[in-house]
Amino acid sequence: MPRWGMVIDLDRCIGCGACVVACQAENNVPINTEDVYHQRRAIAWIRLERYWEGEFPNIKARYIPVPCMQCTNAPCEPVCPVYATYHTNEGINMQVYNRCIGTRYCAVNCHWHVRFFNFWEPKWPDSLKNQLNPDVTVRSRGVMEKCNFCVHRIVKAEQKAKVEKRELRTDEVTTACAQACPTNAIVFGDLDDPNSAVSKLLAQAEHEGRVYRLLEDLGTDPKVYYLKKVDIEAAAEPAAAH
Amino acid sequence: MRRRDFLKVAATSATGAVLFAGCGRIGDGVPETEFKIAQPVHTPNDWVYGRDAWFATAAPPEQGGYGLIVRVFEGRAKKVDGNPDFPGVLGKSDARAQALVQELYHPDRITGPQRASTRGGQVQSISWDDALQEVVGILREAGGERAVLITGRPSSSQAAIIAAFRQATGIRHAILEPDEFVALRTAMRRLFGTSMLPIPDLANAAFLLNFSAEFLHGWIAPVALARAYGAFRQGHSGHRGLYYHVGPRLSATAANADRWFPIVPGSEGLVALGIANVLLTEGKLPAERFQPYLAALGLDAARLTSDYTPERVAEASGLGAEQIRELAHALIEHQPAVVIAGTNAAATTNGLFNLVAAFGLNLVLGTVDQPGGLLLNPEPVLPELRVPDDAILNQQQWAQLVEQIRSGSVSTVLVHRANPVYSLPATLGVADALRAAQHVVSFSPFFDETTLLADLVLPDLVWLEQWGLQVPDPGPGYAAVAIQQPVVQPFADGRAFGDVLIQLAQQLGKPLPWASQEEATKTLALGLRQVSGGNIRAGNDSEFLVTLQAQGGWWSEGTRGQAGTPATAIVQPRDPEFAGDAGQYPLLLLPYPSPAIGYGEFAHLPWLQALPEPISTNVWQTWIEVGQRTADELGLTTGDVVRVSTPQGTVELPVYVNPAGQPGIVAIPFGQGHTAFGRYAEGRGLNPLAIVAPQSDPDAGTLAWCATRCRLEKTGRRTRLARFEGMVPAFQLEEFPIVRVMPPSA
Repeated sequence: MPRWGMVIDLDRCIGCGACVVACQAENNVPINTEDVYHQRRAIAWIRLERYWEGEFPNIKARYIPVPCMQCTNAPCEPVCPVYATYHTNEGINMQVYNRCIGTRYCAVNCHWHVRFFNFWEPKWPDSLKNQLNPDVTVRSRGVMEKCNFCVHRIVKAEQKAKVEKRELRTDEVTTACAQACPTNAIVFGDLDDPNSAVSKLLAQAEHEGRVYRLLEDLGTDPKVYYLKKVDIEAAAEPAAAH
Repeated sequence: MRRRDFLKVAATSATGAVLFAGCGRIGDGVPETEFKIAQPVHTPNDWVYGRDAWFATAAPPEQGGYGLIVRVFEGRAKKVDGNPDFPGVLGKSDARAQALVQELYHPDRITGPQRASTRGGQVQSISWDDALQEVVGILREAGGERAVLITGRPSSSQAAIIAAFRQATGIRHAILEPDEFVALRTAMRRLFGTSMLPIPDLANAAFLLNFSAEFLHGWIAPVALARAYGAFRQGHSGHRGLYYHVGPRLSATAANADRWFPIVPGSEGLVALGIANVLLTEGKLPAERFQPYLAALGLDAARLTSDYTPERVAEASGLGAEQIRELAHALIEHQPAVVIAGTNAAATTNGLFNLVAAFGLNLVLGTVDQPGGLLLNPEPVLPELRVPDDAILNQQQWAQLVEQIRSGSVSTVLVHRANPVYSLPATLGVADALRAAQHVVSFSPFFDETTLLADLVLPDLVWLEQWGLQVPDPGPGYAAVAIQQPVVQPFADGRAFGDVLIQLAQQLGKPLPWASQEEATKTLALGLRQVSGGNIRAGNDSEFLVTLQAQGGWWSEGTRGQAGTPATAIVQPRDPEFAGDAGQYPLLLLPYPSPAIGYGEFAHLPWLQALPEPISTNVWQTWIEVGQRTADELGLTTGDVVRVSTPQGTVELPVYVNPAGQPGIVAIPFGQGHTAFGRYAEGRGLNPLAIVAPQSDPDAGTLAWCATRCRLEKTGRRTRLARFEGMVPAFQLEEFPIVRVMPPSA
């Protein structure tokens, strides 16, 4: 049984946003209009954060893509009163849209702010609905949504393997963000398969001392691993959050 | 689909006679016309219900022209990704490629041929036969010499069709490309004798020195370069590429650099000469390598060593002399090294000099056409696929053409996939000239600013609906051609531009060699079969075409680029000049292309509008970026509305305070300020060209949009910027550093 995980190499990430748009295209994420940004209710299953380090002229802008961390001990799960958010046996933190009653407790309990509530019915002009991915449910008003590691792709690949009476091959499936990422900064795969790209990357990066996880000390055991950006010089000034 | 539509369809399907086809009228929302009902026998034979189909096609030229694949489900394109086989990109894509599907289903696509009662007034639908007949009449009346065809950079196969149309009718062809690329091609001709763009072999380089080029965010070949950048950083065990950025702004690309060297805008060439000075005086490279470099710049060794010392360059560029030496030493210490320049460096009054001085360093380093260096690209293997250099106009030539239109010596203007009213500076008066023209015919699939001034609109199909061949420019360092094939049936009553030209020529009695754009594409593609060394082995033409379509292109790693004879014209070193008195206008205005919506050509795509600009995280608007120190001096904070005055005009914009902004420099992104171009583009922000002084680079003849001074005044008003920053609470744990500090050699 695979244990899905993701590695994001910040030394490769260039902040281009291909992952963000690829995710929107794949997962029927509504268009974030100007109004939505003003309301601070933009939905981005994977978002690209920029933060500053230092002061001019010794200043650095850093990028970090942030999807759902798919925590093993996910704090969003036990607070759902209707079991709309649950853990699959492959380690994915899932959202059952038609079970969700919109309490938003899960969003409050997520330290990474990667859960999004549909305050409005998602709207597209009729013609743009032609683009919607038939494999992914369009969420309605009043329910939470979040990154699920493109679970529809995983299911499809597993079904195909089953029909062909074989095991899922190493790195046979990937997420939309990883597929698009032009620098190969995002890599997806089975953490338990020693031959998978994620396992190899982690083994190598552990050796270099570059592996960390966001808010790791909370003990939620995230399955998204980051590889530190390599810097040839320390920023002159102490780090400052944006 | 609404319930009523569903019931209607269900009832129809229940009769067992008909099924949906993927062809609907775009955006009218009227159930009676929303879908065409088609007999199942007319559905494409590769259409299997409930199953995906993946088609290979090509990206548009303005996106790099590389290979794509498109997921199609029951007649509708769903998702675009990079072609896993195509050289350079190997399955990768970018946000712009992803958004191509939104162009296909855009609710504001023009649904069919239109005739305007008055310019900019009401339009009425007409039939294709009538539209073509009218254009034929117009062309007959004007004759070839009084008509001009203005296009964006055409696909390679379109270039072949246009060339044949030109030959048949005598019409003039003018290509509108962003000025930075016009300057870049000119620089390549001066240095390497080719106008095909080169590509840095980043994947194998140890050091990259970049002068202002936005090579990771929308510059030439953004996907191929981004992919190579990933390998440059972490693709080799035990070795990590080092990247230094020299430029006036900590841009989205510069943010990735190991070190940023902030300079005065337009001093890139000077810094390059300072580096060359150090390399020459310290004798670390063979002296003969400097000869072609010095020849291109009209210098000799004595003048380089005396006039461009690090101290003198430091004074003019804003760097320290030691920093210039450091840059020079880095080029020697980290081999192979590659040097590139572009974007802002190309848009000053000495833009061509900046490019020649910077790219010329590759000659000095001896890394041209070497692994890890600057790879030259070959001319297209078929001469018909070449986009003619002489058709690409610079600003001076545009000014002449606009004057000819205004004076009536050019009476008829055909426009395809170019928007000169928006893209050229208002000072040229393109809109007024078009109003004065006798006939204006647009082939745009959208009502953009130029199309609104047309008498007739014959809408082109969008990119994913057409046939074509595309030579990526720049290519991967060897010959490559991507094939573009329609992945869906057309969703509007448009016609491929090539088809229209072929039909017009036919009706004018001057038939072109092909019956359609598809036939032209396939005929030209079969020419590739005669070229040895390609990736496709086929026993006959049919097999060759099928394999070509399945693989998405043809490439030959053995057919590499070679330097030609450099143009003899010399590019003298010159200092940048800025319009406006420094006392009256104390700040330098630095416009820059938006990483997502570019120079405005992608502003109609909502995914790209909503993608936060990486540095400011702003979306859907225009803002002015002010450095922290300047903002403090002027008492400005993010959200303040300021009056921006230049010698050219005054506008009001909201402020974004950028902690990395250089004192004395303010920046405005291109891309917004459309007065048309669909619901997602129209009425947002400002086109910086409205306040940019009409300065030009006398060597390249291009617009110097980085050569204007300005001043800011508070209006006392504030506005909310739509932005991503602040959407999520930010905090940092000091005990968990997320950057690993290590020496450059690691």
